[in-house]
Amino acid sequence: MSSTPSYAVWALLGALALALWVVSLTPAGRRLIVRPAAVLRRLATDPWLRVPLLLGWGWLGWHLFAR
Amino acid sequence: MFQTVALWVLIAYALWLAATVPFSSPANILTALAIAVVVVLVIVRWPARPTRALIAEEERPPHPYLGWVVLVVLIVAWELVMYLVRGSRSAHPTLSSMADAFDRYNYGLKALACIAWLWLGTAIVRAGTPTASRATSQGVAPS
Repeated sequence: MSSTPSYAVWALLGALALALWVVSLTPAGRRLIVRPAAVLRRLATDPWLRVPLLLGWGWLGWHLFAR
Repeated sequence: MFQTVALWVLIAYALWLAATVPFSSPANILTALAIAVVVVLVIVRWPARPTRALIAEEERPPHPYLGWVVLVVLIVAWELVMYLVRGSRSAHPTLSSMADAFDRYNYGLKALACIAWLWLGTAIVRAGTPTASRATSQGVAPS
């Protein structure tokens, strides 16, 4: 089976992430969606969500570079 | 000055980490050390009882986080589909298998991934560190 459709969906999701990021930086876009930094600040200052945020970051690095 | 030095230290550390081989002691030690430093910084700089950062009412979109939540749900869903579907990993790549591919064959991309990961760690520490100036300059109001 060809891997093209799978990679196409990944590429689409990547493009969507990039589009959201670009939109969030524009004055008009800020009325629709917040910047990634605001999402991070919201997570890092929540008494519960900051725990999975930190664990997720640690797990990501371990999974990518160590294992 | 301090920020410039810190940035160069971060880049040098990332280049060093990128040069290690996964499943080796140097990779384990360098990754664990970076995690330990961030955890120590979090313990030192984050308040035990944080004040939630909220967006000022006049700047707040109707659903400020919806787009990001939808994106994360879509990524997790597709990752699960790729992971669970029958067939070879090359035909159904997961984020991990794609990361493995460039980890193995491209030092430059791995170094960029290391820099991004370390930078994200510092961004997380800064995001949870209370500063009065940030709250006023970026339209963040405490709850």
